[in-house]
Amino acid sequence: MNQLNLIRAGRLVLLLALQISIFNQIHIGGYVTPLLIGYMLVCFQNDVSRTGLLVWGFLTGFLFDMFSNTAGMASASCTLLAMMQPKLLKLFSTFDPNEIFAPNIQSMGLWRYLTYVFFCMLVLHTAFYALDAFTLQNWPLTLIAIGGSTAMATLLCLFSEMFVRRRK
Amino acid sequence: MWGRTDRMWSLTEFFLKHKHWFVFLLLEVVSLLGLFSYDGYQKSVYFTTANGIVGNIYSAVSSVTSYLTLTSTNRELEADNERMRQEIIHLKAKLKVANADSIVNHGLPRHYSVVSAQVVNATLHRSNNLITINRGTKDGIRPEMGVVCSRGVVGVVCLCSTNYSIVLPLVNTTSRISCRLRHSEYFGTLQWKRGQSDITYATGIPRHAKVRMGEVVETNGYSDIFPPGIPIGFVKRVEDSADGMSYLLKVGIFANFENLREVSVITDYTQPERKMLEEQADSLTLN
Repeated sequence: MNQLNLIRAGRLVLLLALQISIFNQIHIGGYVTPLLIGYMLVCFQNDVSRTGLLVWGFLTGFLFDMFSNTAGMASASCTLLAMMQPKLLKLFSTFDPNEIFAPNIQSMGLWRYLTYVFFCMLVLHTAFYALDAFTLQNWPLTLIAIGGSTAMATLLCLFSEMFVRRRK
Repeated sequence: MWGRTDRMWSLTEFFLKHKHWFVFLLLEVVSLLGLFSYDGYQKSVYFTTANGIVGNIYSAVSSVTSYLTLTSTNRELEADNERMRQEIIHLKAKLKVANADSIVNHGLPRHYSVVSAQVVNATLHRSNNLITINRGTKDGIRPEMGVVCSRGVVGVVCLCSTNYSIVLPLVNTTSRISCRLRHSEYFGTLQWKRGQSDITYATGIPRHAKVRMGEVVETNGYSDIFPPGIPIGFVKRVEDSADGMSYLLKVGIFANFENLREVSVITDYTQPERKMLEEQADSLTLN
């Protein structure tokens, strides 16, 4: 269990480094900035305690906030995703709920996995950009930011997953 | 007695069964508290300290990345030098004429000096964009001081730590800077809408004003933050405001926020005489 947590911590550091140094600098059309840190929470298998998952979610968002001057936006969004991840995983997987499995292309199949990641990213980016805008005044722009960033983050998660599987 | 114990047990069981909901609510409240105290323009000491730490990291990163933009910075400096040379020639010619006519200048000189600073971090694609500069209270920087670059106005200092300051740039939805049109001298207020970092909007320009495309928009000197006449941008398009009572000008910003490195903070621009007079007027109203 400790070894598993160490692997998760290592993954978190790597994703944060990638997010801060590369993905935070991407602003396609001035709006689209993918939050790859969501991949951290997407990967959790179905036997993790919900409280533990929430703490991981908050920690991921908090560290992102610390280095991106977003004060609470990512913490709140990642905690929400951590709350919804088990439900989404249950919704898009064909496994028995008592069976332990990790969400990936091999265990879920490409389309189910893609849909699962897409909805996870949609939750994360909707919460993040809604808190960022905090007004309905420029809602078309907020929608563009949510849609574009969700699509891009989903593709990035898919590439990361394929890369990890190939390495294994 | 047994019934009470049973109820206590059921309550404990309920809390244990749904503890993730309580943890979720607690963590969301913590996150949102952080967000709202930050949105109120970083009142909390925590972020001043965090900015200090992160500012050091950004300083190190910035010192490396600044080399990548040296070519364009050099080009800008060259252009600035050229403009200043032209200005010196122009002013020398003016001085010559003034001396020849023996005109005594009774106008008081403008009292303001600047502290140069470097941008160590900037956000441009959020509603509340902020810029971090590597000068703080130890360099004499205080909140409510104006920040300019070689091209024009950048923003206003809103928060300072010992070594770093946070600037509320023109490209922040909460930024409001008084401005005027250089030729017609009609004044209005600059307000940014999220989207492009090189476009802002001037509101409150009266409908009878004759606005020319490309006309320079500059500071009007009505506040103690900026002296009058500092360029901000130029008129790109003239539109009607939502209520139809005034014009809404689309203004192209001179300052290039995407590539902003060197800035200057106007540290002691004050108009003591005006301030004193206004304070006297205030006290008369109170009496």
